[in-house]
Amino acid sequence: MSLGVRASSLPLWRQPWVINSLATAASVLVCLLLLPSRIPGMELLGVAPHWLLIWVVAWSIKRTQWEAAVAGLVLGLLQDAMTSPNPTHTLSLIVVGVLTARLQKQRYLQEDIVSVALIVFAMAVIAETVLALQISFDQLVSANSLYPPLGRIWIYHQRVALSSAILSSLWAPALYYPLNHWWERYAAEP
Amino acid sequence: MFALRRWWTRHALKAGMVTLAISSAWLMRANDGAVIYETYHWLTRPLQPGMSREQQFENSYILELQQRIVELENQNRSLQTLNDYEAANPLDGVRATVIGRGADHWWQHIVLNRGSRNDVATGHVVTGPGGLIGRVVAVSPSTSRVLLISDPTSRVGAKVSRSRAMGVVRGQSNNRVVMEFFEKLPDVKAGDVIVTSSYSRLFPQDIPIGRIESIDLTKSPAPEAVIQVSSPLSILEWAIIHPFEPQETVDLPVLPGATPENGLVPESGDGARP
Repeated sequence: MSLGVRASSLPLWRQPWVINSLATAASVLVCLLLLPSRIPGMELLGVAPHWLLIWVVAWSIKRTQWEAAVAGLVLGLLQDAMTSPNPTHTLSLIVVGVLTARLQKQRYLQEDIVSVALIVFAMAVIAETVLALQISFDQLVSANSLYPPLGRIWIYHQRVALSSAILSSLWAPALYYPLNHWWERYAAEP
Repeated sequence: MFALRRWWTRHALKAGMVTLAISSAWLMRANDGAVIYETYHWLTRPLQPGMSREQQFENSYILELQQRIVELENQNRSLQTLNDYEAANPLDGVRATVIGRGADHWWQHIVLNRGSRNDVATGHVVTGPGGLIGRVVAVSPSTSRVLLISDPTSRVGAKVSRSRAMGVVRGQSNNRVVMEFFEKLPDVKAGDVIVTSSYSRLFPQDIPIGRIESIDLTKSPAPEAVIQVSSPLSILEWAIIHPFEPQETVDLPVLPGATPENGLVPESGDGARP
């Protein structure tokens, strides 16, 4: 995106920023299409990896918190589209993006599989917690809430958060590596 | 002004991209992700399952038939005492394959490969091997999304087939659902068959749901029973979508304390009927 002006002599579809954004959009689409599928080996207790969360983490690791927040918003809206807009997923993905972007990576973590997996693990737990908090809030505030009592929400939260965190962190490198490689190449090229 | 223009020349592309991304995501949300599910449908077309795990489904089907028989026997008995008996409409529907699951961990959804092109609409009822599965909550031209009865936000008006004791069935995100009874001392025992009740607005009556596994009569505010759903929700591979018009506007009195959602409006004394 940052090199739009320099390469403007090329036709539009060959300009790096167009290719880059198309590839980025395609990677989001792949994640969206993976969400409803339950491929054998990608399932634990009926829970699949949270592909959008892995994508947001991969995107935010080397970007500013504003870019991360926008990515969280867009992907959250997309996930709302695929499930139910209430409670919204935008909040949890924005929180994940901003936290990942603000993380003092150079101080605590190196950039390798293990640290990316660790970040994804923590962020998956945080994302599910934000959702569970929203559901609990709804349960407490509205009188005829459809959600189960608090105790049950949080027991379910434990199960979901743990299996989602384990699976997502295991699958994180599969998405992080190609994406990171691509973005690095495009940032370094000109 | 100059600063603004300079900002614009530098960031126009970025701002445009952000606006485009957010607005297209919003658009996607506005039509319930139809585009994504359509793409998903076309991509997974070659992978959509044929007939496997037949044994398991056959077993569930036999269980469903047994439960239907129990229900029919009970109906026959009550027919002799009731004048206002209303025949349940015969259900015929579209057969559909399960092509996907919930895109999130908190909702129990399945995605079926039939949509508005096959006259499926929101509110239609979905059954499968073993009985009730859920209802359609969103459709795209060739897919439909079904909220399973195991979803925590799902409410189904149900009754005990043997004693006609009424209650609401709530999901618990697994293969057990919980039934809350309206009476303090309902006539139930473990093994009783649960079917949808005639007071349910979102489901037609007398579709088998499952069997009572355990009962907790001391539960406050209402006695509860744990029900084993007879349909294998977690390994479902096909389902049948039945056209059904939900009666959203029923202005009958709702019991205080009863959950309004799928609304069952129990009449006083009905549960005591033999």
